[in-house]
Amino acid sequence: MNDDLLFFTEVTLAGLGSGALLALTALAFVLIYKATRVINLAVSEILMLGGYLFFTFAASLSLPWWGALPLAILGGGAVGAIVERGLIRPMLGESAISVFMVTVGLGSVLVGLVEAFWGTDPKSLPNFIANTPVFFGEAYVSRKILVAFIAATVVIGIFLILFRFWRGGVALRATASDQAAAYSCGINVPGVFSIAWIIGCATAAGAGVLLGAIGGISPVMGVFGLSALVVVIVGGLDSLLGALVGGLALGVIQAWVSSFLGGEYVSPITFGILILTLVIRPYGLFGTHEIERL
Amino acid sequence: MSQVSRRSLLQLMGATAMATGVLGGTTLAAFADDSELVIGGSLPLTGVFGFAGVAIEKAMQDYAKIINDQGGIAGRKVRLAYEDTAYKPDTSVAVFNKLTSQNDIHLYYGDSTAFAKTISLELARADRILMGGASFATELNDPVKHPNIFIPGPDYSEMFSILLEHIAREKPGAKVVFVCSDSEFGRDPIEPGAARAKALGLDMGDVIITPPGSVDVSTEVLKLRRARPDYVIFHGYIKAPLPEFMSQAKQLGLETKFMGTFWSMDSSIWDDVGDVADGFMGIMPYRYYYDTEPAPMLDKIREMRGEYQATGYMQGMISAMILLESAKRVLEDGQELTGKNLKAAMNTIKDFDTGGIIGVPFSMAGNSIPVGRVYQYSAAEKKMNPVSDWINVGG
Repeated sequence: MNDDLLFFTEVTLAGLGSGALLALTALAFVLIYKATRVINLAVSEILMLGGYLFFTFAASLSLPWWGALPLAILGGGAVGAIVERGLIRPMLGESAISVFMVTVGLGSVLVGLVEAFWGTDPKSLPNFIANTPVFFGEAYVSRKILVAFIAATVVIGIFLILFRFWRGGVALRATASDQAAAYSCGINVPGVFSIAWIIGCATAAGAGVLLGAIGGISPVMGVFGLSALVVVIVGGLDSLLGALVGGLALGVIQAWVSSFLGGEYVSPITFGILILTLVIRPYGLFGTHEIERL
Repeated sequence: MSQVSRRSLLQLMGATAMATGVLGGTTLAAFADDSELVIGGSLPLTGVFGFAGVAIEKAMQDYAKIINDQGGIAGRKVRLAYEDTAYKPDTSVAVFNKLTSQNDIHLYYGDSTAFAKTISLELARADRILMGGASFATELNDPVKHPNIFIPGPDYSEMFSILLEHIAREKPGAKVVFVCSDSEFGRDPIEPGAARAKALGLDMGDVIITPPGSVDVSTEVLKLRRARPDYVIFHGYIKAPLPEFMSQAKQLGLETKFMGTFWSMDSSIWDDVGDVADGFMGIMPYRYYYDTEPAPMLDKIREMRGEYQATGYMQGMISAMILLESAKRVLEDGQELTGKNLKAAMNTIKDFDTGGIIGVPFSMAGNSIPVGRVYQYSAAEKKMNPVSDWINVGG
């Protein structure tokens, strides 16, 4: 393989890896939106909280990573349950913008709590993914990025299967399509809401651990969630497949842009894609095209 | 309900306006207090820069205590009046307006480049305040454009110059690559740094810009592998994504030496990174808390605070020192505490001894202190150790 082709292959693989992280974070947005029609902007901060929970279990309490990881994910899920029951459910029937603003406020509260409990210093997570590089032929891939890619695709694959065949998944899809009809079929709609928030927030917490393993943790690491929001809008707010394809595609595009044009072009091109998608296909590449009749 | 005529309403409004003016005047006169010197502060106690703000506040309080224990400045007690800004420029401006309307403030600490640039014109117009701060932006090192502002260390371009001089001495003709974040902070020293590298006979390689908030740096590391530089200078970051950068570069067998600028140089942020951080170098304008060279002010700090104090602490201490030294010179000359007088007094600082916090006496002819030293992190000792003498890049 000549040098240029090798470089292109390596850049593409790196893009797929970082795209998988975007996809996993986007999944948290999609899961909650799909069931409840709420855009939970606090996903970014729950992602950050997941990183800090892992840090506490693995570094402060010295648990092995395989013990700390599920606890961090469960912690994220518990936060999701509390938020849904305490803040979101009482808002049922309120305008979408009011609920959206609650999630914006929740994000600020979580940042404040993290700063109060863990301080404002950036921290590194205990190294639980080996540093040895992986080579596909001659092409180099960072092991952490490879792990993130595998974790994200496996998790999204599991969710795709669950939504298709699991009873709870079908209930969630039914609730997403028509809440009143779902009620009339005996589906516990509030229960579905809770499950969606728990699973969504647990996923975000898991993504936070992977993200923290690569870049460390800090109270502002939730900024990453903004890129994932682009993925969600491009892929489709209610599409799991959209999150996966959108995440991987955006990761690869960002890697190409960064390598061949320069890092300064990444944000303009990312948000250019966002605007273009909103203009051409406002419901996203794989989102449900809703027709509203007056 | 009684009817209020337009005339009586106007009379009422006029009386209210007069009363407000009189009372306002009384308030203005009342807060001009000759018994104290207030240092105002828009401090980033939370948010992305919270780690620095907390340390800066502690240092300024400590220095105020040291001075007050010695009888104050020209008989005036020093007091801090500050509020948290969360490192948001609009909040910083609001805090500035609030604090300066409630206190007689002639000395101020600002938290960011954006705030300094925003408030600079107002400082010049009001001619009441001398301001230091957390920003080392090259743009602020312009006494004509920013007459009421100073930088308590070298600006970012001067930091690059210090690092490049060290490189040129250690390995003449070495290949250097800059890795900077895509932000005003990150881009600050690129052009002057590249020019300086060339002037020093170094081989200036690529400039790699990382997108804001980027976590994975695989693609940037691949670019680095192609460039194979002897040295990389990071700028525009605090910690992330530097450890991942260095980790992946080591995985790829690169023997590049990595360097950073002031805000990446606190040793405590590297303690949990481990071996990857071993050998990381950077520019420090001040001594570290644990430095063993003779430094009476460091002894005093260690006496006041038994545990490690971050680099932000030293920055806050030097800022307070310069602010109060300028005020002292103005008051001792019997002059009024105006912005112009304070700045002129600051510019008379010559061969100033900070008690060892800055390792050599310095002068402040312009807006900055163009002095620094290169330190290197030892993962085994969890310390930054000096690897150069103090380098002065001032004209």
